[in-house]
Amino acid sequence: MSFLLEVEDLWKSFGDLQVLKGVNMKLKSGEVLVVVGPSGGGKSTFLRCINHLEVPDRGRIVFDGEEVREDKNINQIRSKIGMVFQQFNLFPHLTVLENLVLAPVKVKSINEEEATKKAKRLLERVGLSEKVEAYPSQLSGGQQQRVAIARALMMDPKLMLFDEPTSALDPELVAEVLEVMKSLATDGMTMIVVTHEMGFAKEVANKVCFMDSGIIVEEAPPETFFSSPENPRTKEFLSKILGV
Amino acid sequence: MPYWLEAVLDSFPYLLSGTLVTLEITVLAIFLGLLIGTFVGMARLSKKRWINTPATVYVEFIRGTPLLVQIFIIYFGLPSLGIYIERFPAGILALGINSGAYVAEIVRAGIQSVSKGQYEAARSLGLSHWQAMRYVVLPQAFRNILPALGNEFITLTKDSSLVSVIAIEELLRRGTIAISRTFQSFSVYSAVALLYFVMTFSLSRLVRWTEKRLEIP
Repeated sequence: MSFLLEVEDLWKSFGDLQVLKGVNMKLKSGEVLVVVGPSGGGKSTFLRCINHLEVPDRGRIVFDGEEVREDKNINQIRSKIGMVFQQFNLFPHLTVLENLVLAPVKVKSINEEEATKKAKRLLERVGLSEKVEAYPSQLSGGQQQRVAIARALMMDPKLMLFDEPTSALDPELVAEVLEVMKSLATDGMTMIVVTHEMGFAKEVANKVCFMDSGIIVEEAPPETFFSSPENPRTKEFLSKILGV
Repeated sequence: MPYWLEAVLDSFPYLLSGTLVTLEITVLAIFLGLLIGTFVGMARLSKKRWINTPATVYVEFIRGTPLLVQIFIIYFGLPSLGIYIERFPAGILALGINSGAYVAEIVRAGIQSVSKGQYEAARSLGLSHWQAMRYVVLPQAFRNILPALGNEFITLTKDSSLVSVIAIEELLRRGTIAISRTFQSFSVYSAVALLYFVMTFSLSRLVRWTEKRLEIP
């Protein structure tokens, strides 16, 4: 079976700081990959390289049979890769509905009426039908993040990238966001999730990888990853984070 | 009735039509300045040398030279290069080009005040650079810089009096002409000042009102 996403030998540095040092990864359609690791290990940079929010120094990314490159049709590729940020990044000057409708109308030239219908459907799915006309600042963090997920889904992405989607949330708001993500995974969405939520990783992931110092140190299905990690660095990280 | 008051009342309709000319010049120059300033402000933030260098040169040169000299260059200087511009468009052009430099700096600060995540979120949805600026970054930037822009527009209203030197019959020029007829310089110039004040005060109210209206809940 062919892969939806192939990453080969990805390198990225910021000035003198070498953040990614040759990352390789393959993902099939429908798989959920959870990336864990200490901060500064390159997880976010890796995710941001996939849709070229950061342009890698070296390496190849092939998504849906097309090489991701700045000079090619990057906008069209990005429209097929949804991204959810730690800080939500909803557009504060637009209502929830306008946040959702903007990209489909401007990028895909879908007419406004159709986009609005779809937006309402997606908002219902994330449990926010009554917030259509609200502004982002009138929503809780958890609600904002669910809107952000719905906004990404408006483009019918084939892949969803989650960059620590629950890290900026109050603890009691984490569950509602994870719930939406779980239901997405159940529906067969291909996802890469950078997170510290080990419960989510255990329950939802097909693969878990540990990233540290710019490389993927270890990759395994969640059962093996959490019960019998092979690499000493993985062991140390897990013992710190799980307290065992 | 004292003569000084009579002089003002007699010249008033004449001054009022001068006020309309000033308004016309100012409004057109504001639009020109906004147009130039928006693009130059964005250009100043470009990573491409060939875009940001000319923008920086423009801003520094305009800010570093007197408006009066700029007006002279455009109206009296350009004809010697074979470029003739009527006094009215020349005045608007000079004021707009001048204001554009200041607006550019305000716009640049405004764009920088919008968090980078906004631009990235827009791009991650597939919007192009221009679409991300047009629909996401600039609308937020303009809200943030509205008070500073208001300031600039008020300055421009007052600076428009400088085009009287190229014989455009705007408010100040008409005041001077009225004085040459009546010799009542104090009262007529005071009336002129009052009319400028009415314009700038209304403008500052208008900016406040716009700010309120555009406020994000």
